[in-house]
Amino acid sequence: MIELTIDGKRVQARKGEHLLAIARREGVEIPTLCHHEAVEPSGACRMCMVEVTRPDWEGWSKLVTACNFPAEEDLIVRTRTDKVMQTRKEILELLIARTPGSQLIAEMAREYGLDHPTLTVGELSEKCILCDICTRVCQNLVTGAISRINRGVEKEVNTPFAEVSDVCIGCLACAKSCPTDAIEFKQVGLERTIWGRTFDLVPCTQCGAPTLPKEQAEWLSERTGMKVEEYFVCVKCKAAQTARTYENIAW
Amino acid sequence: MKLTLDTFHKFQKEQAARLEGRKAITVCCGTSCRAKGGLDVASAIQTKLKDAGLDENAVELTQTGCHGWCEMGPIVTVEPEGTFYQQVKVEDADAIVASYTKGNAEEKLLYRDPTTRQRVASYHAIPFYAGQTRWALRNVGRVDPANINDSIARGSYVALNRALTSMTPEGVLNEVAEAKLRGRGGGGFDAGRKWRSAAKAPGFPKYIICNGDEGDPGAFMDRTIMEGDPHGVLEGMILAAFAVGSNQGYIYVRQEYPLAVEHLRQAIKDAHAMGLLGDNILGTEFSFDVRIARGGGAFVCGESSALMRSIEGKVGEPRAKYVHATDKGLNDKPTVLNNVETYVNVPLIVEKGSQWFANTGTDKSKGTKAFSVVGKVLHSGLIEVPMGTTLRELIFDIAGGIPGKNRQFKAVQTGGPSGGCLPEKMLDLPVDFDSLADNGSMMGSGGLIVMDDRNCIVDVARYFVHFLVEESCGKCVPCREGLRHLLDVLERITQGKGKMSDLDTIERLCDVLENGSLCALGKSAANPVRSTLRYFRKEYEEHINEHFCKAGVCPALCTYKINDQCTGCTLCAKVCPTHCISGSRKEKHVIDQAKCIQCGSCFDVCNFNAIDILGSNG
Amino acid sequence: MEKKLLHVYPQRCTACRNCEIACSFAHPIDGKAGVARIKAFGDKEGRVGHNQIVVCMQCEDAACVSACPANALWRNPDTGAIYLLEERCIRCHSCVAACPFGNMRPQADEFPSKCDVCGGDPACVKFCPANALEYK
Repeated sequence: MIELTIDGKRVQARKGEHLLAIARREGVEIPTLCHHEAVEPSGACRMCMVEVTRPDWEGWSKLVTACNFPAEEDLIVRTRTDKVMQTRKEILELLIARTPGSQLIAEMAREYGLDHPTLTVGELSEKCILCDICTRVCQNLVTGAISRINRGVEKEVNTPFAEVSDVCIGCLACAKSCPTDAIEFKQVGLERTIWGRTFDLVPCTQCGAPTLPKEQAEWLSERTGMKVEEYFVCVKCKAAQTARTYENIAW
Repeated sequence: MKLTLDTFHKFQKEQAARLEGRKAITVCCGTSCRAKGGLDVASAIQTKLKDAGLDENAVELTQTGCHGWCEMGPIVTVEPEGTFYQQVKVEDADAIVASYTKGNAEEKLLYRDPTTRQRVASYHAIPFYAGQTRWALRNVGRVDPANINDSIARGSYVALNRALTSMTPEGVLNEVAEAKLRGRGGGGFDAGRKWRSAAKAPGFPKYIICNGDEGDPGAFMDRTIMEGDPHGVLEGMILAAFAVGSNQGYIYVRQEYPLAVEHLRQAIKDAHAMGLLGDNILGTEFSFDVRIARGGGAFVCGESSALMRSIEGKVGEPRAKYVHATDKGLNDKPTVLNNVETYVNVPLIVEKGSQWFANTGTDKSKGTKAFSVVGKVLHSGLIEVPMGTTLRELIFDIAGGIPGKNRQFKAVQTGGPSGGCLPEKMLDLPVDFDSLADNGSMMGSGGLIVMDDRNCIVDVARYFVHFLVEESCGKCVPCREGLRHLLDVLERITQGKGKMSDLDTIERLCDVLENGSLCALGKSAANPVRSTLRYFRKEYEEHINEHFCKAGVCPALCTYKINDQCTGCTLCAKVCPTHCISGSRKEKHVIDQAKCIQCGSCFDVCNFNAIDILGSNG
Repeated sequence: MEKKLLHVYPQRCTACRNCEIACSFAHPIDGKAGVARIKAFGDKEGRVGHNQIVVCMQCEDAACVSACPANALWRNPDTGAIYLLEERCIRCHSCVAACPFGNMRPQADEFPSKCDVCGGDPACVKFCPANALEYK
């Protein structure tokens, strides 16, 4: 264990532990947009910037992203200095200009006192802030169907060459983990459409209610060893089935 | 034939003996000279030599890499005299061979000094070369890059043999550290320190990576070295591998450098065949192999962490360097990544000693640096000088100064698109890592773009920001979004729609870029804007307040008018692309403002200062 | 230390579904009642003693845990119950599909829900008028 200081408070941490994790454990609030516990930090949104220094740095300090900066002995972390707050505010202004329609960004901007953004504003329909949570989730945890394509201002999240993906399993993890609800999907009856591909939701073998795409069942089956068909019962029927099983047990 | 520590020395001596009083004609076959017909010149000379009954024993014909003075290409030299022929055409082959047999020089192909109007026979007497100290470029333009024996004859692998015979890895590390060699790719990080951390870091395998992804517009130092002296690069990498304890390496070359890839491939193959690369180098226990990784030409992949992601086959985006590459680099293994020019310096240090190396240069920047000097200079090209040489010496003494009799030096941009623009009062600045950084610019990988008073400084800033917008990877918010808005503001100013408050917005955006960006590309992206605003604020204000672009570049902010100096020579009317200048011979001409596109061609050709550049409202 | 378990006595259950309501209010979403993680099934023929209660059994080798790609399901060392670490959840609902007993419940746009024994003080137990649930 090592000791460091966050906003004047001495705290203990493991060497190399990321500052954000330590701060959150200690109840120090640091805003994030691209952080998701399930995936490696990326450092893309720059909202979690904090100022760090050390006693031996002779007054010199630097801004770092708390999400991936490793803790070291005697580090002095300040999470709300003027420079930090100003940088976060500027970043929010840039994001507002990109996604003027996003509730989340507008709320955060208000918190940082950004009442009159001055930069030229983009299209209202744009919601994606390119935090890369969806792509990291899909690539690291699911099947890697989507990625960041193009670069710079042209950058966007999409399937390779924006073609229909044959590895997507329609699990919706990308859409559901998006902090700004930028990924569109549609689910009507037994059909679920995402990234230009329509998946058939297998009807519950007992009641016919939609369960999950066959592709997701196959992917799960490979990971867990359960039979694909075992996934095709809806929650309600499974619970009822469980209840019936109990009925057959003698008390 | 595989060489060993015992046989290398003898073999090298044999090869070197060939050079004694060697009779040879070399033809530059670098990328640029090839484009100008260098290969044809070479084969024409070959044919003529044969016709004259001169075989390989009488005179050797060597195809070399680039001499770094491409406007003079194709370049042919004759050894041992060092005769330098420029702009040689296929038809000149006859004359070259004829004068060779006669033992004199073909006068009309020699370089003519623009001031003295005298022809200069020898390579070494030409100011462009005489002022240089060619260390990194020592073999470029001299050896046949496709012939390993040629390189060995000139001393390649001597340092490797020395290291493996009489030095420990620690010894090599110490030499490099004591030479205070700093990375030539831009960061200027102490190479010895980097190598030592990688040597100490636990992990297997360790990687040596050579960054040949030269992405700066107008920079071609690394390309020239890779094309012209691939063995120098390889030897530097092998020595690094020996020092660090690595046995796997990559050279990352961009897709746009096919000739560099070809020559490096050949060099790797040849070095393998001679036992200089691969398993048991020179018969020792030490093994090291190199592969070529080709990049897609994204500027950001020259950034070390993005480059490593690219080699791994991932999206070329940088990542935080809070954990150094020397601990967790390529595939999360300890990695040393240096630039082409850094590696090519290493054999020199090992062979001649750190003391010798450190004698040249400034206090904190040792050795030499190659610059690609382009823009408004008389002689654009590759110039290698000791660290600490002033910008004035570089631009005026070696590169010949500003062309055009009425043109004035305005600014020089150092360090590529994310470097800063320095004004005339900075010309006596010694060029080294620290003094450039202290003045709002940077060394970068060594690009120098010279601008005269016909360059609009706001337009220059706009151009570089536009380049960076296109090349930003788009991962982090400040760089992706901030640059876009910066470009937006600069475009407004060049279109005459700027407000004084825009200058504050520029400062603000520069701050967030510097403070907030993830990688060095974003952090330094503000440099061209910030430095031009710092040194040329008046010009920005003229654009905004007076709607006047005095350089005559921004079409919305200037008008061209003919004054009473006009002699009616008609030259301007001839060059005008829109035929909007009218007037009879020997009478004052007039520009039809409705048709004028403000290209400035008339201004550039007028010999009588008869054209004025005025503000948008005249 | 011996872990407490949620004991179910279906023969005492009156299918009043107080447990479901208690659970919903114990796990609210945005201040509103959430999805109940426990379910009481009344006997179709209304026979006393034939009702059923279905609730997570905190399986030893749990299907939900092995199906989760994000490592978001963890066993609480204090209660022994498996709980969802919402910060890690990517809402792919694989756990919902995987639980063979129907005890992993989806909530439209929210995180899937499961019984976490209310961190050691289960609300359902307190609100069951028939003592059909015990935590001991």
